[in-house]
Amino acid sequence: MSGKDRLQVFPSRMAMAIMKARLKGAQKGHSLLKKKADALTLRFRQILKKIIETKMTMGEVMKESAFSLAEAKFTTGDFSHMVIQNVNKAQLKVRSKKDNVAGVLLPIFESFQDGTDSYELTGLSRGGQQIDKLKKNYAKAVQLLIDLASLQTSFVTLDEVIKITNRRVNAIEHVIIPRIERTLSYITSELDEMEREEFYRLKKIQEKKKKIRALEEKRKAALRESGIEMKEAPNILEDDEDADLLFTD
Amino acid sequence: MSFSELYFNVDHGYLEGLVRGFKGGILKQTDYLNLVQCETLDDLKLHLQSTDYGNFLANEPSPLAVSTIDDKLKEKLVIEFNHLRNHCLEPLATFLDFITYSYMIDNIILLITGTLHQRPITELIPKCHPLGSFEQMEAIHIASTPAELFNAVLVDTPLAPYFIDCISEQDLDEMNIEIIRNTLYKAYLEDFYKFCEELGGATADSMCEALAFEADRRAFIITINSFGTELTKEDRAKLYPRCGKLYPDGLQLLARADDYDQVRNVANCYAEYKELFENAGSNPGEKTLEDKFFEHEVQLMKNSFMMQFQFGVFYAYVKLKEQENRNIVWIAECVAQRHRAKIDSYIPIF
Amino acid sequence: MALASQKGRLIAVIGDEDTCTGFLLGGIGEINKKREPNFLVVDKNTSVPDIEEAFRSFLKREDIAIILIVQNVAEMIRHVIDSHVQPIPAVLEIPSKECPYDANKDSILRRAKGMFSAEDLR
Repeated sequence: MSGKDRLQVFPSRMAMAIMKARLKGAQKGHSLLKKKADALTLRFRQILKKIIETKMTMGEVMKESAFSLAEAKFTTGDFSHMVIQNVNKAQLKVRSKKDNVAGVLLPIFESFQDGTDSYELTGLSRGGQQIDKLKKNYAKAVQLLIDLASLQTSFVTLDEVIKITNRRVNAIEHVIIPRIERTLSYITSELDEMEREEFYRLKKIQEKKKKIRALEEKRKAALRESGIEMKEAPNILEDDEDADLLFTD
Repeated sequence: MSFSELYFNVDHGYLEGLVRGFKGGILKQTDYLNLVQCETLDDLKLHLQSTDYGNFLANEPSPLAVSTIDDKLKEKLVIEFNHLRNHCLEPLATFLDFITYSYMIDNIILLITGTLHQRPITELIPKCHPLGSFEQMEAIHIASTPAELFNAVLVDTPLAPYFIDCISEQDLDEMNIEIIRNTLYKAYLEDFYKFCEELGGATADSMCEALAFEADRRAFIITINSFGTELTKEDRAKLYPRCGKLYPDGLQLLARADDYDQVRNVANCYAEYKELFENAGSNPGEKTLEDKFFEHEVQLMKNSFMMQFQFGVFYAYVKLKEQENRNIVWIAECVAQRHRAKIDSYIPIF
Repeated sequence: MALASQKGRLIAVIGDEDTCTGFLLGGIGEINKKREPNFLVVDKNTSVPDIEEAFRSFLKREDIAIILIVQNVAEMIRHVIDSHVQPIPAVLEIPSKECPYDANKDSILRRAKGMFSAEDLR
């Protein structure tokens, strides 16, 4: 594969210049992506740590909330049917914002109040204070869970993005850059080869020309001896073809 | 009625004896101490088996839920109560019916809420308290709007007079459901009070005391809970039952109260309530006001067993049993959630 | 989508009666115009397909941003939860009142754990 897997280019100096530029681009891209991946991983690890922490606190908060429900039930009696039947409009909703980490958009949830508390008078005659406490506890739990949800969404999104980025980094590092390098070395070797051929050709022609000239000199000397004077200069306008010197003996 | 004691046993002696027997089955302090020691719900079940409850949980599959215990406790109370109800004569029959009305109010409120939110009513019926079931409940599914519910069903229930007095058809749509509930309850308490007064004798003595306390407790709690809500003072004043010791002066003062301290000042004028307010607090370790009220109620109910030839024992028994159910469920919750710090805040009865 | 995020999105709950009651009191409950609630009360009579069905329908709804699910219920439909990989809606597992939170069962934490060990090996 090493020899064959290269870009299909004509081995010329032009192609070599282009390839060199591409190699530079790829290296730049690689280092940038690597930086991005590092930044994301950093953030990712922070989030992961926070998720684990929050999940543990959540256990505690939920336990407390569940217990305050038991307390409220102790004073008020069973009111859960009432609550379940009385559902109408959500008072606590979430909005999502976007947070930008190294070009990745992470959704951040935040809660907001919308409308009034429809259970304001629940437990009016009995256990109102407990229910109030219960509501506060659960509102706190919901808040925590919303934070956790943001973290978790970021976690999933980042996980995905980091995978993609790492794939790209690896692709550049292990496929694209070697391929360009191979192409470059191919071009260089081809060019060298051509140069050597050219040199050989030159030498060969020189040698042949030398022989021809020697023959010519001999012929001329013979003519001079025999008394014939040749003084005419060659006509440059004369259109006669150069004979192929290289392959004729 | 002056010789009512003479004839009491002829009509009601058997049931009074029965209810006093039932009272013997109410859990004692030692039973609670045992229950509190339990590590799991199965332990709890085992301990309950050694009490008067016997094997009421025997048929339940093993991962026992607190709600199952709750249901079974309720079921047991209902069986006992229905037994009493089936064997009684007038006027005890009416008296027992009065006791069920308070559950009926809760059921009706649940059904109204369901209809307002267009829930299938058949789904709600099993969730109603069995003590408060009434014949018309079977037919309630014909009603799909609050107006129909009012015209077709509610007017036939024993609670109809309370509705007619204070709530019109339109109110069902507009009023807050909790206000309806409390208005009904107020009418019910006043009616029950009047009925007991008419019965006279020892019944009136013990029952009026109990109902007056119930009325006053509601007035206090409603006042305290209404702080910081949309409930106006006028509306609040309308919810006070007018048959307690607070009526009329105390209620007027309560109606003007703006914060907890003012409520406490009102209570200070009444010796027995003053005491309840004095060491109540919401800090951990302290008993809340509501717990204090519960304790006082239990005390009153126990006192009513001191008197013979009167109906107060029936009311007292139901109330004590209810408190006991709450206690058991509380302990069960604490055990199930492994949250033992507060397990001792149940209200001991005997 | 844009409209939904402008108006604010909901939190859905799947859990036992007490958990639902608590969160509803916390003010997250809503019944929409089609009379679909955003919560499901699971009791011992609720079948697993019902829970799955409800969970899937919550996933499909655009107005739901977060789904809270009680861990022991999540166990019942684990395969469905594991197959949900999109970031939104976020599925959160919460402890129920009787079972304390067990991090080893959580889909997300399991993924996190796997990643941690893989990274540590490197």
